Amino acid sequence: MLVYAVRRLFWLPFLLLAVAFITFALGQYGPGDPVQVAMGQHVNPEVRDRVRHEMGLDRPFYEQFASYVWNALHGDLGVSYKYRGEPVFGLIGNRVAVSAQLAFLALLLAVALGIPLGIVASLHQRTWMDYLSISISLGGVSMPAFLLAPILMWFFAQQLKVLPAAGWGGIFSPQAVMPAIVMGVGPVAVLARQTRASLIEVLGQDYVRTARSKGLLEQTVLLHHVLRNGLIPIFTLIGLMLGSLVEGAFITETVFGIPGIGRLAVESLFARDYPVIMALTLMVAVSYTVANLMVDLSYGLLDPRIRYR
Amino acid sequence: MRTVLVMLLVGALVAGCFGEGGITVAPPKGSGGGSAAPGTAPSKAPASKSAPSGNTLRLLGDDPPTIDPALVQDATSSEYIVEIFSGLFTLNDKLEVVPDIAESYDVSPDGLVYTFKLRKDVKFQDGRGVTAQDFKYSMERAADPRTESLVADTYLGDIVGVKDKLRGKAKEISGIKVVDDYTLQITIDSPKVYFLSKLTYPTAFVVDKNNVEKGGRRWTNQPNGTGPFKLKEWKRGESITLVRNDNFYGGAPKVDQVVYNIAIAGAGTGMTMYENGDIDMVGVGLADIDRVQDPASELNSQLVRAPSLSIGYVGLNALVPPFDDVKMRQAFAAAIDKQKIVDVVLKGTVQKADGIVPPGMPEYQNKNLKPIAFDPQRAKQLLAESRYADPSSYPPLTFYVSGEGGASPRTVTAIVEMIKQNLGIDIKIQQTEWATFLQDLSTDQKKYPMFSLGWVADYPDPQNFLDVLFHSNSLDNHTGYSNKEVDALLEQARTEKDQAKRMDLYYQAEQKIVGEAGWIPLDYGESYILVKPYLKNVRFSLGVSPWLRFVSIEGAR
Repeated sequence: MLVYAVRRLFWLPFLLLAVAFITFALGQYGPGDPVQVAMGQHVNPEVRDRVRHEMGLDRPFYEQFASYVWNALHGDLGVSYKYRGEPVFGLIGNRVAVSAQLAFLALLLAVALGIPLGIVASLHQRTWMDYLSISISLGGVSMPAFLLAPILMWFFAQQLKVLPAAGWGGIFSPQAVMPAIVMGVGPVAVLARQTRASLIEVLGQDYVRTARSKGLLEQTVLLHHVLRNGLIPIFTLIGLMLGSLVEGAFITETVFGIPGIGRLAVESLFARDYPVIMALTLMVAVSYTVANLMVDLSYGLLDPRIRYR
Repeated sequence: MRTVLVMLLVGALVAGCFGEGGITVAPPKGSGGGSAAPGTAPSKAPASKSAPSGNTLRLLGDDPPTIDPALVQDATSSEYIVEIFSGLFTLNDKLEVVPDIAESYDVSPDGLVYTFKLRKDVKFQDGRGVTAQDFKYSMERAADPRTESLVADTYLGDIVGVKDKLRGKAKEISGIKVVDDYTLQITIDSPKVYFLSKLTYPTAFVVDKNNVEKGGRRWTNQPNGTGPFKLKEWKRGESITLVRNDNFYGGAPKVDQVVYNIAIAGAGTGMTMYENGDIDMVGVGLADIDRVQDPASELNSQLVRAPSLSIGYVGLNALVPPFDDVKMRQAFAAAIDKQKIVDVVLKGTVQKADGIVPPGMPEYQNKNLKPIAFDPQRAKQLLAESRYADPSSYPPLTFYVSGEGGASPRTVTAIVEMIKQNLGIDIKIQQTEWATFLQDLSTDQKKYPMFSLGWVADYPDPQNFLDVLFHSNSLDNHTGYSNKEVDALLEQARTEKDQAKRMDLYYQAEQKIVGEAGWIPLDYGESYILVKPYLKNVRFSLGVSPWLRFVSIEGAR
């Protein structure tokens, strides 16, 4: 397993290099220029070219890319174009922590609610409990963040005045409640539906019937035979969710005014702040890769039949 | 550049989802920071807790791209900079140029040499006295190519030697001379009456050499300015806290500190926070305008209307068919019912624009301006008289709009409808993301035959509208409008010393531009702001000018 993990991680730098190359090229050859964005409507080719030269933006593509990679390998992700002179590392450092906390909360909510809902639904197929949990899931999955967020704000902040409308005070603060719900509600639904489908499939398997016919306690059957097998695909899903939560944060963070990477990413795109865009893209790539690896590794713990090669 | 008020508006624009609700002014808060100043760690008290109670002004703000005076090119940044730093001249709330660190000045008879006498009581926030040498250093630093300033050329470029310095050809700026500690002499390249108003822009402000050189690129994290406030804390994406500079030469501010909540910029929750008593001022967006304008609403008495030096317009490109024919431009201008757009689409929140220069411009009142009036019959006639009466004689028209939303602004759809209705011409709308829009605009003058854009004053002088946007040789002339007579008037106005005569030259130029439909002016910018009744002396100006030090908090919150 260790060998497997190391081998998987061995590919990570190459993956990052590919991602960096594509992102960098898109920035270079795509429309828009960070210096012109900063200048707004003012046109002055002399000034623009001079500042582009000082910033090194007029160098050939391969040279810029090589120097980016070289600096990145030495832990220097460059300075922001929009926030003039501000090191990218400092700019994203705090924000990553904020977004990670938020993603963790949302995921916690999704797991704590979604899986039990799915289990209940699968065990009580075609009863009111099943329909109720499906309805909740459907409602949750079809409720976009930009709709749910204002509704929650209106209710909790404006009418009841029990929660602050916006801002961020850390993972344990009241400010975290609404954004966690907004971000978690979709994943709750997805997890509940997936758990239900997966368990229903397992419940129909021969070995479940065998286990029951052996006279095992229903709890034992559920715990050892049904859940253990049925939850494997769910773990894959959770891993993938972790990656997408980071992106899902874009809207939620904007609406609730949370200083996370989502908002920074949107801002940076509009300002053509390439160093920041690069850093964020690479970060998302790393988090997807690592999440996937962890999921793959967890299979082995859940199902001893799975071997890594 | 945008204005002070636009910044307050940030976030208010999408706040319309909230229903009716009276104001609920929160009980006086111990800190005044409240939830307006979120800290990262919940256990840690917000920074504002240390301040004397109740005397903290709580505002919404946006993260400034920079607070380095030499680099600033946006209103958001300027807002903070004018409170932390200062320069030879400043703007008052009427946007008049008034002396600041300069005590007095005189100009040589040829209008080229300015001699400034500096106040002797001006100190940096660390206590060191400010001298003429500091100004020389500050301007030379701004014009140093390594500073990478995008605005030094605009605001200091009139000074002899600045261009050489910018191009890396000179070590010093030859046109700046330190006569003695408190006398500074600046020579400009040709007489320009509006030169002083350019000095009100932060690029000409004084910075502390020690501070800049020690701090490296991040010196602005602990700036040692001369302004009425000191930067106490800047948590990017969260908050900015300014504290009072007790030694400010213009008299200490009345509030102890100002906390800007940056986190919720664009969040659309500003109105809720204002109504919950968490912030003291908020901009009102279109969605809330009806509610707060209702005389029955408690909010109505707290509403302030604040015009800005800005204009929205439709640009018609005089370099490409069909708008290279003046008749075609005039036909378009006559076919658009601006009053209807203002009343219906914009709910009367802005003022219809007839001219180019906004009404708040100091000393400017073009009373006799004759606009092209809305007149569908005349529009049809003009179209028939033009070279392009046959729609197949020019390529299909596209109306370019900047933006990302996908849905075009309703003003744009209204214009397209009116043109279709009154002239029978079909126009396609093309929305282009801002960065791309700017690139197209700045690199290919012929790319956009028709576009929607706005302009906000960089400095309060009609020159910044008429000369900068319509002179044939101006780089910022985006429509390719060119008229030799207008050029002559504008050039004459640059050097005219008699203010009344100078304004008259601009009136004539404006009339010609409007008559030839160089633009179709649409509306003058205006903001709506709610101000809590306990705030006194909130001075709204039409542009960026220092105002925080006048504000006081009186009575219960």
